Amino acid sequence: MASVKLTNVKKVYDKDVVAVHDFNLDIKDKEFIVFVGPSGCGKSTTLRMVAGLEDISGGTVEIDGEVVNDLQPKDRGIAMVFQNYALYPHMSVYDNIAFSLRLQKMPEDEIYEKVTRAAEILGITEYLMRKPRALSGGQRQRVAIGRAMVRESKVFLMDEPLSNLDAKLRNQMRAEIILLRQRLQTTFIYVTHDQTEAMTLGDRIVIMKDGYIMQVGTPTEVFEMPKNLFVAEFIGAPKMNIMGTELLKENGEYYVTPFGAKIKVDGIKGAMLKEKNIAAGKITLGVRPEHMVLAEEGAANAIPVTLEVNEMMGSELHLHVLTEDGTKLILRIPTIDLDATLRTEMTNGKKLWVTFAGKVMHFFDAENETNVLVDQD
Amino acid sequence: MQTYSDLEYLKLSKWNKFLYKIASFFVSIPVAIKNGFLTIGRFFKNAAIDVKEEFRDIGSTFKNGDVNTRISFFVMGYGSIRRGQVLRGIMFLLMELVFIFYMVVSGGYWLSMLPSLGKTGPTTSYDAILDTYVPTYNDNSFKILLYGVLTLFFIIAFLYTWRLNVKQNKIAQEYLAKGKKLKSGKDDIRSLVDEQFYKTLLALPLTGILIFTVMPIVFMILVAFTNYDGAHDGYINNLFTWVGTTNFGQLLNWTSGSQNYSATFGEVLTWTLIWAFFATFTNYFLGMFVAMMINKKGIKFKKVWRTILVLTIAIPQFISLLYVSKMFAKNGILNGLLMDLGWITKALPFWEDPTWARITVIIINIWIGIPYLMLITTGILMNIPADLYESARIDGANPWQQYTKITLPYMLFITGPYLLTSFIGNMNNFNVIYLLTGGGPTNSAASTAAGSVGYTDLLVTWLFKITTGAEAQYYLASVVGIMVFVVAAVISLVVYGIMPSTKNEEDYQ
Amino acid sequence: MSTNNASMKKHMGLKASRVVSNTVIYVILIAMSVIWLIPFVCIVLQSFRVENTWQVGYILPKQWGWDNYAALLKTDFKVWYLNTFIMALVVSVLQTMIVLCMSYTLSRFRFKLRQPLMKLMLVLGMFPGMLTMIILYRVLKDLGMTQANAVPGLILVYIASSGMGYYVSKGFFDTISKSLDEAARVDGATRLQILFKIILPLSKPIVIYTILTAFMGPWGDFVFARYISFGTSAGMNVAVGLNGWLSLDQIDQRYTMFCAGGVIVAIPVAVLFMCLQKYYVEGVTGGAVKG
Repeated sequence: MASVKLTNVKKVYDKDVVAVHDFNLDIKDKEFIVFVGPSGCGKSTTLRMVAGLEDISGGTVEIDGEVVNDLQPKDRGIAMVFQNYALYPHMSVYDNIAFSLRLQKMPEDEIYEKVTRAAEILGITEYLMRKPRALSGGQRQRVAIGRAMVRESKVFLMDEPLSNLDAKLRNQMRAEIILLRQRLQTTFIYVTHDQTEAMTLGDRIVIMKDGYIMQVGTPTEVFEMPKNLFVAEFIGAPKMNIMGTELLKENGEYYVTPFGAKIKVDGIKGAMLKEKNIAAGKITLGVRPEHMVLAEEGAANAIPVTLEVNEMMGSELHLHVLTEDGTKLILRIPTIDLDATLRTEMTNGKKLWVTFAGKVMHFFDAENETNVLVDQD
Repeated sequence: MQTYSDLEYLKLSKWNKFLYKIASFFVSIPVAIKNGFLTIGRFFKNAAIDVKEEFRDIGSTFKNGDVNTRISFFVMGYGSIRRGQVLRGIMFLLMELVFIFYMVVSGGYWLSMLPSLGKTGPTTSYDAILDTYVPTYNDNSFKILLYGVLTLFFIIAFLYTWRLNVKQNKIAQEYLAKGKKLKSGKDDIRSLVDEQFYKTLLALPLTGILIFTVMPIVFMILVAFTNYDGAHDGYINNLFTWVGTTNFGQLLNWTSGSQNYSATFGEVLTWTLIWAFFATFTNYFLGMFVAMMINKKGIKFKKVWRTILVLTIAIPQFISLLYVSKMFAKNGILNGLLMDLGWITKALPFWEDPTWARITVIIINIWIGIPYLMLITTGILMNIPADLYESARIDGANPWQQYTKITLPYMLFITGPYLLTSFIGNMNNFNVIYLLTGGGPTNSAASTAAGSVGYTDLLVTWLFKITTGAEAQYYLASVVGIMVFVVAAVISLVVYGIMPSTKNEEDYQ
Repeated sequence: MSTNNASMKKHMGLKASRVVSNTVIYVILIAMSVIWLIPFVCIVLQSFRVENTWQVGYILPKQWGWDNYAALLKTDFKVWYLNTFIMALVVSVLQTMIVLCMSYTLSRFRFKLRQPLMKLMLVLGMFPGMLTMIILYRVLKDLGMTQANAVPGLILVYIASSGMGYYVSKGFFDTISKSLDEAARVDGATRLQILFKIILPLSKPIVIYTILTAFMGPWGDFVFARYISFGTSAGMNVAVGLNGWLSLDQIDQRYTMFCAGGVIVAIPVAVLFMCLQKYYVEGVTGGAVKG
């Protein structure tokens, strides 16, 4: 049970390749932190520096107030679950889980106690005598977690633990990790490239790109107030629709003019624009697919589009549409909103009109892609 | 040469594509050689920069050093002991004491004699009691050269330790200034089985390589610049001494008169390359062919065929090679059999005729090599994804096209580095040649130069003959050895520069 | 019907051509087996020939007997055999240790001198090893480890530079996932414990391969063994000793004894090899791919 503090942490390979720039983060005790970002963003490297598996090129890592830069992984009070599980192939499940305890020279009966308890929690008791290769992916994952659990460490590190599982199993294991976390009551650092995992698991999410932190915040914060265009596009699926447009100010009210439509910025976003007194001009507008709605034909605030692809997802439809100038937009329409005739009419090439409300708009600086409504630091 | 962009290249006719590839290959040879030299040049440039940096660091360490650090420049380990790292300090101090002791007692002598390789040779004096001339042996050139080299090694090691000692002081000083704790002797020992475990593991193997490979090679390279031979053995008969690059001139100068080493060298080198080429590629393709036959669907007893072939690997080569060499002899079984059958009336000159002998060694080498290549290629062939063949069959490729378009490119890509090693290995394939022919039949045109050279002699077997011959021209052997190295190195540089599978080691991990 | 016929024909053609090609392959394989086996059959047959001791042009002995084997016992053959056997045993143990140390280190540790070290060994490998013989002989002679005492000297020569043959086993170690090491480090194992508890138990094939090749080395070495034991029968290994029997002045008296000696040398080595063949194949295949 411990806090983790990273101060100006840097990772440089071969003198000039910088993998992580100046990483600062305070992780509170018992917090579940998720590092998320596309591959090569430095999230795994950062985790491995916390683990002690990579040298730290600059800055300090503190666990529980102690600088651990020069400590071996085993002395840092951490446990780790690896992407490919890293189970010792020549040892049984029992021996795998017991390995670290044996190295600590713990008495065998105590080891037995701990291993069987962990196995029970994870539901792998009946596999204890098996070798890893005789287990399924999900079972291996549980063993890997069990091995980390028995170490009773201060910090629990997980490096893309679910990415080798199939989609269904992944959802199941995700739920189990949430339960595990409630049971263990320890600090978690979890690395993933999957924004859904990040959103569902994390107390706070650290979104990274090219070695820089893009945003740190709770799932709600990063979803509702993405600090920049990258975060906005990365979080949420399908990804946010981006439109280059003009921000107009008429009689103290703001309007946007995507693809010839003129839509008033009302609601909270309008109020914020006014409060910040944002200047009119070029702007990058973002709207999430689920916030776009179908509109009356020919309405002034509607954009004329052509339906290109219609994906029936069950509870909702994903409509891929093209505007007149060829920009692609995606709409998520709940199936329940469409009556049966309308649903059958949704064939390719159909002309549609779409619009969205002011309160769901996101505004990004056309030049530096930052969210104009969020204070940058 | 004209270069094409990708799209332009694709438009070329098949024939032109082929020509373009050939041309690119030859154009790339000089580039590969140039790059090789550039790499070497860069290495030296970087080394020079590093050395400069080291000196700067040493200077600044002294300037910024405290008393302990400064004294450590002269009394190694002083700083470490004073700062509580007793174990390290004692090791440093011990190194310095041993070094000074050695240099005073004997190192100085060897070093001072190194430029001359000995001043007084053996002398004889009349012994009245025995009524005979008794020789007195004085300086020993061989030992001077050997211990001289060792002393140089030792000096380098000492300088390195001294540098380490200086660096330690700097680090320790910085650590203490920051208020950190230094590692104790116990920590040092513990780290030798953990973070620094590689040092423990490498200590023994590297010492062995240093003493039994590096040192002898350095020594023998130096011998190439002396006149060390049977007559100048450096102790009993005569001292030997430095002669500069004369020996190289002897071997490389094609117009030099009486002892025509250069012509012999040229002949042996040519045959060595021909041999290496055929030995490598006949085995490679035939081995692959055999592997494919055995692997073919529907062929039964796969294991039996493999086991029979593998016998040649299982049985020590000297038995099989010596025996086979006798089978092919004039009065051997093969000739006997053929004569009994009435197919020939006179024994075939397998070992007596130069051309017969050369072809026979290549063929027997195939006998030796196919099983080995068969094993290697079997493994790789099985790794070729089956769907490649399936999709090729659906695209309408016949077996030959499948081989040339899928199997061969894949094999060449994977085994490229192996082929290179194997080529170099064959250049130095002492066993096969020596046990089969002993180098024979004798090449009378060349035999005046340095032992009796035969038509199947490779550079290495020639080298062996030179050192074991009556004249024991060690200097010549050294020069030949260096030449083997040069040839191998040039070939490797070129091939590495061109090979498609010039790979990044980490990519495979 | 005609189209049906044509397709039938085509079908038959495919099958027939497979039968033909398989038959051709069987013929080639049988011929090869004969060629590969003949020398070994001959050497065994000739070792039982008692009517004369020189080389003859026929295969089947006219008179059979164990005479040649009995005669072996009266020569230095048993000394050579013992020499070689001792060397093979010691070398297989020590060389395996050295090679494994070297290859484990180069596979698992990333230290500053790693790349230069590997390049240096590549360069050293291009010098003909024979070049070092002259000096090694002189040095060993000063240490009293030549001629009659050649066995310890030769052992030293064999194992000292064996670190340079790290390639195949490094290739194998490289295939063991590094995350196993990392997991073990997090679990609290030192590098020493990782080597013994994780890597070695997973490396049985390559350990056996290394032992096997190391064991076979001394049986086949000719050059160094001849040089170091020069002129003294008591220090020779089987290769040097038996080769002497084929020299011009001895071959007529000892040719059949050479055959008998060869059989005695070949049988244990070949049997061992055949038993462990599986591991050998894994080794050479892996080594070449890693190349």
